[in-house]
Formats: sequence, C-alpha cells, structure tokens
Amino acid sequence: MVGDWEEHVIAASDEALASGVVPGMASRQAEHLCPLATFLPPEPEAAAQLRELISSALYDLAPTVEVRVEGVAWLDVNGVVSAGESIREARRRLKKAIGREPRLGLAPGPFSARLAAARARPGRLVQVEKARTFLAPLSSRELPLDAEQLERLDLLGLRTLGAVAAIGPRELESQLGREGRHAVLLARGLEPDQLTPWRPPLFTSAHRQFDPPVEDREALLFVARALCDDLAAELGLRGAGAKRILVRLLLESAPHEQRDSLVRHPLSSATELFGLIGSWIKEWQPRAPITEMWIELPVLEAAGRRQLRLWAGGDGTSEEVVSALERLQERWGDEVVHRPHPHLLSSPIPSQRFA
Amino acid sequence: MQELDVAINSIRVRFGSQALTRAAELPPPQPWPSRTLIDRLSGIGGLPRGRLTVLTGNGTCGKLTLALALLASATRELAHVIVIDHQSGFDPWTLLPYSPELGALTVVRAPAPDLAGEAAAALAKAGAGFILLMGEVPEHWLGPLESAANRSGTVLMGVLDAPGRAFAHASSLSVGFSRTEWIWERGQLVGLRALARCVKNRVAPPLGETELEIRYPLGAQSLFDHRVDIIEIPVDQSKREAPSPVSPASRERGQSWDLYQESAVV
Repeated sequence: MVGDWEEHVIAASDEALASGVVPGMASRQAEHLCPLATFLPPEPEAAAQLRELISSALYDLAPTVEVRVEGVAWLDVNGVVSAGESIREARRRLKKAIGREPRLGLAPGPFSARLAAARARPGRLVQVEKARTFLAPLSSRELPLDAEQLERLDLLGLRTLGAVAAIGPRELESQLGREGRHAVLLARGLEPDQLTPWRPPLFTSAHRQFDPPVEDREALLFVARALCDDLAAELGLRGAGAKRILVRLLLESAPHEQRDSLVRHPLSSATELFGLIGSWIKEWQPRAPITEMWIELPVLEAAGRRQLRLWAGGDGTSEEVVSALERLQERWGDEVVHRPHPHLLSSPIPSQRFA
Repeated sequence: MQELDVAINSIRVRFGSQALTRAAELPPPQPWPSRTLIDRLSGIGGLPRGRLTVLTGNGTCGKLTLALALLASATRELAHVIVIDHQSGFDPWTLLPYSPELGALTVVRAPAPDLAGEAAAALAKAGAGFILLMGEVPEHWLGPLESAANRSGTVLMGVLDAPGRAFAHASSLSVGFSRTEWIWERGQLVGLRALARCVKNRVAPPLGETELEIRYPLGAQSLFDHRVDIIEIPVDQSKREAPSPVSPASRERGQSWDLYQESAVV
C-alpha cells in the first residue's frame, strides 16, 4: 500500500484491495483490514514520472486523456472511429507501462467509468449503458466527499447513490453546500465533471559541460548524439515532437554562438534530431574551444504523425513520406525534391517540359 | 561442409532451433507483381518487397528501359514512387512512353552520394512504395536502407552498369543484361535484343534466363503518344527469326506471358 501513516491510502495492490482496502481509506483502518500489508511512503517525483509515462502512452489513443496520480486514467473516446480498438490498445500499453493488467470501464462519463473500472477484474472491461441505473445500487461512499460529509449522508439515510439521486440537488446543497449539489448530479449519472486533457510540456533541453574545453568536432558530434538520444527519450515519454531546435555553444574566451531552426514537422526521434543538429555541427566553425553545449527544444507540440494513425489505417505512411521529403528539403534546400508536373511537354527545351 | 553442419547443429542445440536459420528456410518476402519478365526471374512472381533488386549491364543493354517500365507501372499502383538521382540527370520526360501517373512520382536530386543514401533510407523508413536508385549509395547507408525497407516493405531497385561489392552484396536479386544484337529494319536502327539473366537470387532458387527485344519509339508521333515495346522471345526462336512485336493490347491479354513461360530456361 502507498500512503502516509497518518494520512490516507493513495494506492493499493490487488491483494490489499481484495482485503477490502480502498484508496482514500485511512491508513490505520487499512492496516486493520490487511495486517500483513507493507506501507510505502509516497514518492511524488516517481508518481509524477509514472503519470507522465502513462499519459504519453495513452496520448494518441483519444483526443482527451487525463491521468491522475492515484492511478486512474480516463480516455474520452467520443468521436474516435473505432473505440474498441482504442480501448484494446490502451489495455496493452498500460500493461506495458505499469507491468500489471489494468481494470477497464466504459461508461457515459468519468465518474461512472471510474466506478465501472473499479468493479472489473484485472484485464477485463465493465461496460455501462445507462449510468443512473448502474450507479443506483452503489454505496454513497463512492461520492467525492470528505469524511464528515459522508457521515452526514449516512445520518440522512442516503446510503446508496440511488437514494442520493432521488432527492433534489437544492435539498442536498442546503445540507452539504455546493458539494451536495454536485453529489446529486453525479449520483444521477449527469456527469457534471469534465476531463482535464493532458498536454505534453512545452520546453525541454539538454546540455553537457566540457572540462577541459574541446575543439575536436568528432567529440562534439559524439556528445550531440548522446544529448539527442536523451532528448528523444524524453520526447517519446511525453508523446511530443520538437517544432523548434536551438543549439548553443558556450566558448572559452568568446561570446557564445548559437543556431536555431523552425521545422515544418515536429522531430521526435534521435535520428531526426541528430540528422539536423549533426549537419550543423559538421559545418560549424567555432571561434574558440567549447566549454559547454546546449540543445534546447523551446517549442514542443504533439507528435502529429502519431495522432494521425488514430483515425484511419495507412494514413500515417503517406504523411510520413511527405514529411520525410520535407525534412530533406529543410536540410538540403527545396530544389532537392522535385515533383514533375507536365507543363510544355512538346517543348524542345527540357527545363520547360515540367513545372 | 560436414564440419559446418556440425557447427550449425551445435549452435542450434546450445541456443535453440531459431538461433540460426538457413536462408532457404526463411519465408520468401512478399512479391510486388510488376507484370514483366522480372516476375518469373525473381522466382516469387514479382519484385521482392523490402529487398534490393539490381539491374546491371554494360552500356546500352535494356536495363534502364526495363527499370522505367517498372517505375511507370509502380506510379500507377503505388502512392509514393521515388527516384533517387545522384548526378545521372534523370529526366521524367523519358518516362512518358510508359504512361506513368506523374502525381505519384517524386524525384530526389541528390547533390552528394551521402544525401542519396540518407534520402533513400529515410524514405524507405517512411514507407515509400517504390524507390529507384539511379546509381550506388555509399556503403554505410546500405545497412540502414536494407533494414528500413525490410520493415516498411518498400520495393528497392537499383540501376547501374557494374555494382560495387557492397552494393552487390546488399542486393537480394540481381539481373544482368547483355545486348546480343541491334535490330535494324530498312537500314534504320529500331531496337535491340538483350539477354536478361538472374545472376543472384536470395529469395528463390536462382539462375533463370530469358531474352527480350526492345523497340525504340520511332516515327513522327511525339514521345508521349508512343509506347515502348519490351517483348520476351523464346531463346531458340530468337536465333532463327525475329518475332513481330506484340501489341500492348495482346500483352494485356497475357499472350506475352505464355510466350515467356515457353521461353524459360532455368
């Protein structure tokens, strides 16, 4: 179980869940239910990393993806051409990312989907057609209320979501405040909450200091490749691509030198990044030995090619060929790629025959 | 030979039966049917997808004519057909007699061999349907090119006089062309006959051979109204008499295919 001793359980293993432990439960109560459990202190950094990992893994499967640190992920599959395929792929990727079979729920909104997933066996999907009917027999303790408010619901005799749904929103608002109104809407399956879509971060960079300063171009290329590998791994984790690339060289006894470029299609792999940066370094003539190299990706955006695969099979390939040609043009000039369009085919001058 | 078999067996015993696979045991690559003589020479009914096919031969021997016919055929069937042209001056105009779909054609004019290699590897990786290499690519690009094409199933074809060792090694199918005679009619050169021989085949049993006749576009009609005739002829018959050209319509009906099968020398 993960959670502070004096606080609440944040996450629990399948074995602990089987003993009746649920996230949000007081840790002391959880220990009572599952005496053999090991308590692990929360690691916010690791949890955030895991959240990023899961978010990027699911990012291209639906237009809106939200992942919470307590281990719940939502995909809004409205508008997705084949939702079933998306869900199957989500299961596969989640299993790869976390090493466990996820529990899956498909429902009209985030609240009912979370409760449906909580009732599924690992690797299985619980599908809900009508949220209100599904929610009605469930305990009112599933509502996102604090302990005191849940206690008051109990005292009012509202022990199931069906009972909560049966009273008016204003009546419960007078008892619990705004959360009361919200709770009634949730219990009625009206899903008042919206998902907060995960977006890849907008900036990243990598740098390396040289001691002693280097002049050797091969060494610089070697380091640049390593930095590109690091950045590509980070971009892959975030499902992002670099729209702008900036390379800055800090020199020993001269002002720094830099070069940057805006690319038409976001670069996301190490090969793509090093293809551009390596070509710059090969022709760079620094005025002094280099003390530090920075590679910055100041403008990131979603790696579009991955998103395109979501809509129709095979589209991605055509897009990739076009973007590969554009990358060649960016590096070597527009004249490298020629698409012949008939112009004056009967002209004796070859250059006039095609536009 | 016996020692080699013992070594192979010991590797399989120690590391598993899949650790070492004979080429003959590998499944053949998927073919792309080109409807030309190459289909039978390859032994799999088409050009191997994801592999490099090389057409070689000295001087005027028909290799480029056949490559252009294949290129035009690819433009009609595939979405992205690429010509990687490194200083050979490929002119799309020469493709017109083969009725290409120019919308699918892209020419990459590489100012340096390195760029030719990089472009070919990048486009193969991206999944271009057909790539025609008008010359060699540097050796260090052959590995990435092969693996990229293998993953995407791109049909790679190279046309050159004499391939270097690395390029020849990288190819899975090599067809050598040699001109056997010029065709003269009424004192005018109208075409040539050439022998096409499979000199290397890693996708099927090798060493097929056929003879073909190529008729140049001649006469008052403009180039793009003309059709080039590439006709396969029986080897023994070609030595007795020159066959009349088969019309494109009859080729489409499959007559040349029958003729071709009869002429097969394997």
